Amino acid sequence: MIDLVIVGAGPAGLGAAISAAEYGLEVCVLDEFVKPGGRLLGQLHEEPDGKWVNGIAEAQKLYYRALQLGVKIKCGVSVYDIAKLESGWCVYTTDQIYETECLLLATGASETPIPVPGWTLPGVMSIGAAQVMGNVHRVKPGEKGIIIGVNVLSVAIARELQLCGVHIESILLPQSSFVSGDSAHPEKMMESLLRLTHLAPSPLIRFGGKWVNPKIGARLYPRNGFKMWGIPIQLRKTALEILGEYQVEGVRIADISATGEVVPGTEKVLSADFVCIAGGLTPMSELASVAGCSFRYIPELGGHIPIHNECMQTNLKGLYVAGNITGVESAKVARAQGTVAGLSVARELHAIKQRADEIIDIAKKEVIDTRRNALIQFQAGIEREREELYDKGNNVFEEKISV
Amino acid sequence: MNSMRVTDHPILGTLENKKQVTITFDDVPYPAFEGDTIASALLASGVRTLRHQEDKGTPRGIYCNIGHCFECRVRVNGKNTVRACLTPVEGDMRIESGGEL
Amino acid sequence: MSGDQTVICRCEEITLKEIKETVERFQCSSREVKLRTRAGMGPCGGRTCRCMIDRLVEQLGGPKISNDVSLSYRPPVRPVSFGILGGEPK
Ligand SMILES: Cc1cc2nc3c(=O)[nH]c(=O)nc-3n(C[C@H](O)[C@H](O)[C@H](O)COP(=O)(O)OP(=O)(O)OC[C@H]3O[C@@H](n4cnc5c(N)ncnc54)[C@H](O)[C@@H]3O)c2cc1C
Ligand code: FES
Repeated sequence: MIDLVIVGAGPAGLGAAISAAEYGLEVCVLDEFVKPGGRLLGQLHEEPDGKWVNGIAEAQKLYYRALQLGVKIKCGVSVYDIAKLESGWCVYTTDQIYETECLLLATGASETPIPVPGWTLPGVMSIGAAQVMGNVHRVKPGEKGIIIGVNVLSVAIARELQLCGVHIESILLPQSSFVSGDSAHPEKMMESLLRLTHLAPSPLIRFGGKWVNPKIGARLYPRNGFKMWGIPIQLRKTALEILGEYQVEGVRIADISATGEVVPGTEKVLSADFVCIAGGLTPMSELASVAGCSFRYIPELGGHIPIHNECMQTNLKGLYVAGNITGVESAKVARAQGTVAGLSVARELHAIKQRADEIIDIAKKEVIDTRRNALIQFQAGIEREREELYDKGNNVFEEKISV
Repeated sequence: MNSMRVTDHPILGTLENKKQVTITFDDVPYPAFEGDTIASALLASGVRTLRHQEDKGTPRGIYCNIGHCFECRVRVNGKNTVRACLTPVEGDMRIESGGEL
Repeated sequence: MSGDQTVICRCEEITLKEIKETVERFQCSSREVKLRTRAGMGPCGGRTCRCMIDRLVEQLGGPKISNDVSLSYRPPVRPVSFGILGGEPK
């Protein structure tokens, strides 16, 4: 039996593998993607000091460190089921069946789509798909693209696509409908954009300074949007339909009011050979659900979260979670959470001989500090929601597991 | 070799000489780089449509590109339901698109 | 194309109209919508449309999104061949 199997080789999974292996545990990491690194691979950010953070290089560092410590990492392997054993867990994969004392789910997040008429046409893809195509596989998703959905991720990735030599014609809102929620609402989107000021220092701070109040901002918002890195961000335009016979040829758009209603007579067609849909992220809870974890629905963290405590233990013995499965946050937070999870497993398996609690407390503090300094805040209120969740996690945990 | 490739990137650098292999998609040969997925290799040659939906026959290509949505499923060397976005190319790989049932 | 014809579940090509009609007619939960329309039952296992259907049902006056994962996942969470399910390596 292995000490620890980790599902997901993203920053959380690799972070945990490293901290657990540093205490001598036998660790095996499984991931269905072609390379280790998870969604960190596609990331490319300019820090406020002008230095670029290259996700591929960051992922490689984690990967080599894990290998050095003897961690086994298998890519191209999908985990399709897990089951509780008398002691430990059984992990069913497309490669083989693993038995392990402890199991960590670090499966990350998936993208929430926004259905738009015509969105099944080839050439329409999620914003993350375009990011991976350009930055990881080094193939342009197209020559000229339109992004539907204005949020932290879509603006950041628009810039990355531009660096790949792709022309982004417009970033605009989806049409207000049953499923679009806030994403079609100029004021709400204004609010979320203002959280992005540190990512795109100059244009947005200028922008934010002028229209700090989202209500006023959405109303005064220039009809043709404003430009960041030359890319028009259009909170007062909406995508009505994606057009094309066999694949994407363009998007029919219209102007909208500050509250999202279409202004009659303003329709026109923009041509494009690909379209990205950016609906936000939601934790990928499927394996935790199959395992029988209890959940809480917390919109601030992106959706359904398996209940866990600050040591990343779920309400099931030997089952841990870390990274975006516990709430959508940046890669650095995911990695710090992974470190905590790895140490917690090492403590459960009595591999930390001295001062285990103290060591874990330091790692927990690191998570909080990283969160406070994160460049990208996906949502407001993350810290508060987390504290409440941990309280629940601790209660459930004491009831169910301490015996 | 192809305009869809991001050969030179201002931060990620230049693609070094990659080994080229040939794959076939519905019997048409396409060039691919070692390290490509089926989806990236085909897109580099401008191929977006990977299959047609089983009931209505609408054309489909990649959607998520990371294994979640199964829109990119194809037949590879006779094996069904293979995700093109997660499967590395190999020389002489035979890929077939799925179609209307 | 009108908004109602928008595909919600890509795998099974289930439209907004079909889901709306089902919720209105049967006053049902997202779980029931899934069973009645097959939305969310395709090869992706609902990974793409699950949270949209939850949201839609709530908006249409159905049950509010609760703490339970309403369209609960069933193994296998990835389509696998019978050979693999039987325990042989691929
Ligand atoms: C498309 C996208 C773009 C993002 N862009 C940014 C960004 O620009 N900046 C930022 O700070 N954050 C971004 N994020 C958030 C990002 O998720 C975190 O930054 C970080 O990568 C999360 O780390 P993680 O380890 O929790 O999960 P991930 O990095 O997502 O890794 C999870 C891994 O688990 C694997 N996996 C999942 N299920 C299975 C299974 N059943 N079997 C086998 N393997 C499985 C996946 O293949 C994946 O490699 C993005 C997220 C997404 C989805
Ligand atoms: S494109 Fe979604 S699984 Fe391949």
